[in-house]
Amino acid sequence: MIKQIMNKLFLSCLKASELIEKKMHVKLSFTEQMQLKAHKMMCEACTTYEKQSLILEKGIEQHLNQKKEAIDLEQLKKQITMNLNKSKS
Amino acid sequence: METTINLSLWVETYTSDLYSWAFHKVSDSELAKDLVQDTFLVAAEKAESFKGESSPKTWLFSILNHKIVDHYRKKVNQPLALENQALSDFFEADGGWQESRKPKDWKEVDDEHLLDDNEFQKVLKKCMDALPDKWNTAVKLKYLTEKNGDEICQELDITPSNFWQIVHRAKLQLRDCVEKNWLNN
Repeated sequence: MIKQIMNKLFLSCLKASELIEKKMHVKLSFTEQMQLKAHKMMCEACTTYEKQSLILEKGIEQHLNQKKEAIDLEQLKKQITMNLNKSKS
Repeated sequence: METTINLSLWVETYTSDLYSWAFHKVSDSELAKDLVQDTFLVAAEKAESFKGESSPKTWLFSILNHKIVDHYRKKVNQPLALENQALSDFFEADGGWQESRKPKDWKEVDDEHLLDDNEFQKVLKKCMDALPDKWNTAVKLKYLTEKNGDEICQELDITPSNFWQIVHRAKLQLRDCVEKNWLNN
């Protein structure tokens, strides 16, 4: 019972971690911000979760910005031209 | 006849730019090649509708961009059977962390340090590849589309709450995988 009330007021860890992800994409509503803040003050696991989730975000971004592999553009052009001719006939 | 001449010229002129853009958006060279090919096939089909109001380049890029959005829309809207089971793997029925899945403190290193660590990068890559396709796409979308959450949802036809939930599950799994594989090294 107490747990249920606490969850309503301060969010469950499930909900809090979801808001942490949401926050990285859009601005949270005022209520959501307050709830998340209160939750993190009491919950070490979710505070850690947020810190690590941010590290992962940076890692993902870095990973995506890696240099592109060199491909054979001439080969690609040839292939496209071939397919274009095929689709015509 | 005229369009044929144009097209082969366009292939010669624009393939390189189209490919660079496609790769930037999907970060997969095979996929990027396919998208560029498809772009020209569509261009061939719709050649009559090109009225020369915009430059060929603009026209081809708009086709390519449609192809890219289509690709992501398909991925994100794929049904995924595991989905419901996944949250109960991480949380108790009351919404608290499962003891075994509770985020643990990682080694005492700052972020920058961690991200420069080759081993960590390797683990992260491995764990990203291990995610179901749809989740993998969801966590990358922000960087690939350079759009905010609302715009992503609009473009891909998914409800925002659904999108956070996908990202949430993906990140839970990713974090857990990184922790297990990296800390145990």
